[in-house]
Amino acid sequence: MDAVTWGVVVVAVLLGVAWYLSYSAARLDRLHTRAEGALSALDAQLVRRAEATLELANSGALDPASALLLAGVASESLEAHNDRALEHDLLDGLTFGDREVTESGVTEALQVALTPEAVAQVRADGDGPGAVALQRVEAAGVRVQLARRFLNDAVKDVQRVRRKWLVKWFRLAGHAQLPSTVEFDDDLPPALRD
Amino acid sequence: MRIGIVCPYSFDVPGGVQFHVRDLAEHFLAEGHEASVLAPADEDTPLPDYVESVGRAVPVRYNGSVARLNFGPVTASRVSRWLEQGDFDVLHIHEPVTPSISLLALWSAEGPIVATFHTSNLRSRAMQAAYPLLRPSLEKISGRIAVSEDARRTVTTHLGGDAVVIPNGVNVARFAEAPVNPSWQGTPDAPTLAFLGRIDEPRKGLPVLAAAMPAVLDRHPGTRLLVAGPGDVAAARERMDARVAAATDFLGMVSDDDKASLLASVDAYVAPHTGGESFGIVLVEAMSAGAPVVASDLPAFVRVLDGGRAGVMFANEDARDLAGKLGDLLADGPERERLCAVGQRRAEVFDWSVVAADVMAVYETVTHSTQEPRASSAGETRWTRLLRGRRAGEA
Repeated sequence: MDAVTWGVVVVAVLLGVAWYLSYSAARLDRLHTRAEGALSALDAQLVRRAEATLELANSGALDPASALLLAGVASESLEAHNDRALEHDLLDGLTFGDREVTESGVTEALQVALTPEAVAQVRADGDGPGAVALQRVEAAGVRVQLARRFLNDAVKDVQRVRRKWLVKWFRLAGHAQLPSTVEFDDDLPPALRD
Repeated sequence: MRIGIVCPYSFDVPGGVQFHVRDLAEHFLAEGHEASVLAPADEDTPLPDYVESVGRAVPVRYNGSVARLNFGPVTASRVSRWLEQGDFDVLHIHEPVTPSISLLALWSAEGPIVATFHTSNLRSRAMQAAYPLLRPSLEKISGRIAVSEDARRTVTTHLGGDAVVIPNGVNVARFAEAPVNPSWQGTPDAPTLAFLGRIDEPRKGLPVLAAAMPAVLDRHPGTRLLVAGPGDVAAARERMDARVAAATDFLGMVSDDDKASLLASVDAYVAPHTGGESFGIVLVEAMSAGAPVVASDLPAFVRVLDGGRAGVMFANEDARDLAGKLGDLLADGPERERLCAVGQRRAEVFDWSVVAADVMAVYETVTHSTQEPRASSAGETRWTRLLRGRRAGEA
């Protein structure tokens, strides 16, 4: 083969490699965007759940002890969210800022407070503020479950792609931190789902 | 919300996925959302105005049965055009892992994508062979839904990650209010049984039921079996025992209304499916209509029947067991009444009002996670997308 042919082959191979690198970088970036989006969705749903819980606590539909318990965990969750509100990187580089314990606490308090009797009592007052808040707690609780599951799916995809040697060798992930899955108890109180 | 729904299977023939897509779209339209469905269909097939056809589908063998699907470059550009015109807030793709418009839509779509997995028997061979190619597309899905625990297990085994289970929906009221047809109604001397499904597909289990019928006829000589479903009637009759063939009425393909009436009229509905069912929507329809259900103990059926509390279960492919259970049920009127009441209560869980609200919660979760406005697709061709790795949301 003459030099021109060789040149063409080399250029073609280089172009191919360059395309694949840029394609992989774009793919990874899309995954990062998805994971970030999923994390902010989870954050938003947790805020909604905490707000609804606080509303339920203040509606007067529950006994004062349960109300105090719920108000306590709900405001703790809202504080954990607000602590980060002024920071530039709200999501702390795709980790959850150690909020898992707080959110498990909200779930647990809801399970303890919302016994079948309590739920029946709140629902009995029809369209009152308690019943409305309870509905919002349930809706937000379902969405927290969805958001967390979708987030963990996205995180696992990111982790898998970032394990590839191509991504490691060429540092395609740049400075982005490796996200980790978010694990906390998000079961709904059984009484709510009847 | 502007919702785009992609159905891979042709609207020319009835099928579980097609009905699911149709009912879901109609439910959202009734709630005031905008919904558009993209599906294959022949030119002369009458379609509701929210369905857009991508053209005629080709019958291909995939995943163990013949499906009518669409693919190829012309189809791909039609899919892209629909996506562009629709400008959807959320794109809901059904059965994304089929060689069909679902995969094409996933390939060219941007923005929030929800995918529903219906099947519980993904062929792992096909999946593994094409995996490296599919993976980047599958990564675009923000929210995965499985219609059953079995479908979910398939997703987690073959694709990794997880999926939320949202069952198929049934319009319970439509079946509950279906008029009884006297000619299908049983009498104490001549009870009636219903079978629904393709008569020449062994998976649907007609051979099992046919093998059980002689013993049923011994105990209840007047029993009539009503078979509703497409297929070659003469050949099916030939395969049956002469006495069974005489006791069987082949109704052919029945309309939706007739199906509901049939289920409302009979003394029992029999689901002898031998496998490949991931959900069993027809069981829910039967329960809604008030027909006591006798079903094979496929895992999907056990779950729909609430662990066997809402119906009678027999050992899969065991004609003797089926004959025994059927004979007992036909002899026991109070038990049939009890099953009818339990079944109707069980069916409520699968009503579209419940199911569609769950699907909407998924839409809301995934649309919330993409606050950035989507990149405008104007001036973007498939070629530029390919060059840039088809990424969304880039400045």
